Amino acid sequence: MSGIFSAFKITASALTAQRLRMDVISNNVANAETTRTEAGGPYQRQQVVFAAGQVDPGPAPAAASPSRAAEGVRVDEILVDDTPGHRAYDPTHPDADEDGFVTYPNVNIATEMTDMLSATRSYEANVTVFNALKGMVSKALEIGRS
Amino acid sequence: MPVDPVSSISSISRLTQPEGAKNAGQVGAAFDDFGSILNNAINTLSQKENTANQAVASLAAGEDIELHQVMIAMQEADISFQLALEVRNKIVDAYQDIMRMQM
Repeated sequence: MSGIFSAFKITASALTAQRLRMDVISNNVANAETTRTEAGGPYQRQQVVFAAGQVDPGPAPAAASPSRAAEGVRVDEILVDDTPGHRAYDPTHPDADEDGFVTYPNVNIATEMTDMLSATRSYEANVTVFNALKGMVSKALEIGRS
Repeated sequence: MPVDPVSSISSISRLTQPEGAKNAGQVGAAFDDFGSILNNAINTLSQKENTANQAVASLAAGEDIELHQVMIAMQEADISFQLALEVRNKIVDAYQDIMRMQM
């Protein structure tokens, strides 16, 4: 049974990763017009980097077992996109520089929307995988039933 | 829906050692294993159910747990339960087959 449950763990890791990606996207959209951050300057867009890896990196690192190819996915790091944001002329804005230009975050709403769709679809795909797995297990339990 | 671990299951190993089978030592050992396997399976089931219960409780309490992890824990408990049910059905079938045997 541990075999099929480890398959569930892989799916769970993918779901967790996509949820975290969704968090980052919502943060980008929420801060699409934020001109003040703790670090100073406008908000900088963040993006996730996925890495294939151990589902839980603790107990057994699977000592030399090539049969265990699948290990799940994890978010390796959350990178800050440091491309410059767009500048708009708005001298009345409190964060305008001496020339009257305001630097807005480098968040492109259209990009975030496509990323969001991608995350949603990935999540759905992984749920479909989970359901397929459960269907396989249910079928296996029907073995021998007349 | 907590399932208490069945501790009295060890009586099965006694059941499965009929006097006629004493000379067949290996068969007896295999039957002993069956008892412990059953015990382990029930403990695993109980553990899965507890995990699912804890996950649901912490979700309801507003703790930091992902919804899909709760759902997956519940599904794992469900699958374990289905497996236990199949095993139980098989045992009951075998018992009834034996009881129907002509003497």
